[in-house]
Amino acid sequence: MKEMRITVIVGQTGTTVPPVTPEAVSFARELETHTGGFVQAIVLGNDVVGFAHHLAETTGVDVTGIESTRLALYNGEVYRDTLIKFLETDGPAVICLPHMAFGFDLAPRLAVALHASCVTAAEAIRFSNGRVGFVRSMFNGKLKAEVTTLREKVVVTLMPGAWSRPARRPGSRKQSVRIVKPDVFPSASQTVGIRESDKDMLNFDDADVIVAAGRGIGNPLNIRLLKDLAAIFSKSGIGASRAVCDLGWLSYRHQIGITGQTVSPRLYIACGISGAMQHLAGMKESRTIVAINNDPHAAIFQVADYGIVENLETFIPILLSEFKRQ
Amino acid sequence: MKTLVCVKQVPDTEALLSIDPGGKWIAPQDAAAFRMNRFDEFALEEAMRIKERFSGRIDVSIDSVSVGPARVRPTLKESLARGADNGFHIRVEEAGYISPFDTATLIAAFAEKGGYDLILTGVMAEDDMACLVGSLIAEILGYPCATAVISQKIKAEERRIDVEREIEAGCRECLQLDLPAVLTIQSGINSPRYSSLSNVMRASRQKIPTISAEQLAARQKTEQVSALFYPEKRSGGKILEGTPREKAQVLLRELHGKALI
Ligand SMILES: Cc1cc2nc3c(=O)[nH]c(=O)nc-3n(C[C@H](O)[C@H](O)[C@H](O)COP(=O)(O)OP(=O)(O)OC[C@H]3O[C@@H](n4cnc5c(N)ncnc54)[C@H](O)[C@@H]3O)c2cc1C
Ligand SMILES: Nc1ncnc2c1ncn2[C@@H]1O[C@H](COP(=O)(O)O)[C@@H](O)[C@H]1O
Repeated sequence: MKEMRITVIVGQTGTTVPPVTPEAVSFARELETHTGGFVQAIVLGNDVVGFAHHLAETTGVDVTGIESTRLALYNGEVYRDTLIKFLETDGPAVICLPHMAFGFDLAPRLAVALHASCVTAAEAIRFSNGRVGFVRSMFNGKLKAEVTTLREKVVVTLMPGAWSRPARRPGSRKQSVRIVKPDVFPSASQTVGIRESDKDMLNFDDADVIVAAGRGIGNPLNIRLLKDLAAIFSKSGIGASRAVCDLGWLSYRHQIGITGQTVSPRLYIACGISGAMQHLAGMKESRTIVAINNDPHAAIFQVADYGIVENLETFIPILLSEFKRQ
Repeated sequence: MKTLVCVKQVPDTEALLSIDPGGKWIAPQDAAAFRMNRFDEFALEEAMRIKERFSGRIDVSIDSVSVGPARVRPTLKESLARGADNGFHIRVEEAGYISPFDTATLIAAFAEKGGYDLILTGVMAEDDMACLVGSLIAEILGYPCATAVISQKIKAEERRIDVEREIEAGCRECLQLDLPAVLTIQSGINSPRYSSLSNVMRASRQKIPTISAEQLAARQKTEQVSALFYPEKRSGGKILEGTPREKAQVLLRELHGKALI
């Protein structure tokens, strides 16, 4: 039987190492303990040598760096066509990417090209009866599913934060680093640039407490209630779910989550927020989390230290009057 | 110019969802517990805006398509009420999980015959949260694709579309795609309008053709849901009990204890 090849794909646009890269290596190592085989990483970008060596040294995996000026910016088709030559082998394989803008764009492209199964936003591995299953959220996080794959090759994207960074594994053996400079061809789409954020985000750094509004506040008038609640704390700010910003109830400057800001205040009070993973990714490191939601099954209660199953429109006024009575 | 908008019917995630005895999907819900996937409302609205922009210059038609059992038809009706010209129902018999691969294979087979210039999907379905179907359709058809699109400018005469897709930290990737193309639309790209009365009237009369899935494409065996389960609560987390006042008191006491107030 052919050995399982587990490949971590790293898109290295920009100069920083995405924190999800070491997490992906952890995932690959965990998978390897179940399936055997070997783990390798592929880094794509314009200038990857330094990063490829750094990755090999800190994680102990063999790294292939694919370098071209045409890879400086991410483009799904170009990345797919370039990568496919390195991934097309016979035998079982798992290809993993972070579930971020680059990963969930590239994963299905690779899956179709490789005739592979595709599982997105995996949060855990379950191994039973000789089969690998991936656990992922569904229904805004209210339920979880175990998904099993039926093809020999699998492309999987990993929920940021689901795996911890691996301990350094230096010196176990000499890792190989290989740099290749393939020809890269244009495609029917071109990435022409990156537009930096013009959102001028709120600065939450000084906020000890964030009171955050979700769609469950029902109407924008209830933001008043949340502001009154925030006012009982000395250093506080108002956050929001994406849904609230999409509705225009608060500006995008307030948005918390994977496409908004990541915050970790001493106290986060989520009001009428369901707890979709994209929101949780931005706030689950908060020291203490309070959730007010009238649905006892809302996913936000999975991360809450204190869960309050109530209608926020009636509960927050009671909370405020109790506070004043003290 | 022909556009296709993919609309999915999803169970309302605020409804009480229970797992069916087979353990692999949710128990059947009341018809009332289903609605249009919210991300698809943004896709539909974006198609409407394209149509309006070209109004009087280029004819833009908007078809909507949904894959699912008979209960998805009201969602197609709603797409007509919101402004789509025609709705098509790709009918599968089972009410359970349909993999993104199967859905995309069916829609791609349908779309190929339709000769669409632009195919729009939502970035994600609220039930399976896969973020896959749009890209899979594009890959199957060999069209270029942009995901999580947060703004677009179509240049129909040049057969080109310029888009911005949302990436992390509020930044945007700017892309140019040749038509035909597939876009997966991110929420917030526009503010979806309500249905107009005239469209609601038209929708109630209009026929929605049904195409059986078997006629379109064979099902793939790619992945399956082998178990659905309730998540575990975080250890140490508590749900406060009692009257609202008691809960408020306990919460305030706890926050005092942690020196948060
Ligand atoms: C690529 C991508 C990126 C994304 N990025 C982000 C992001 O950065 N941040 C983000 O937040 N989302 C993001 N999302 C969207 C995310 O998936 C969810 O759609 C969103 O977080 C839902 O917002 P919500 O919880 O406010 O609304 P809903 O999911 O509609 O939840 C509303 C909640 O309010 C509760 N409720 C209703 N009425 C009351 C009441 N009277 N009292 C108390 N509770 C009540 C309901 O029970 C429900 O749980 C992203 C999605 C995608 C696909
Ligand atoms: N059964 C379906 N019928 C029509 N469109 C669908 C269906 N499933 C998914 N889609 C489209 O694909 C998008 C992404 O879905 P998913 O890949 O399941 O997260 C949705 O927002 C819809 O536009």
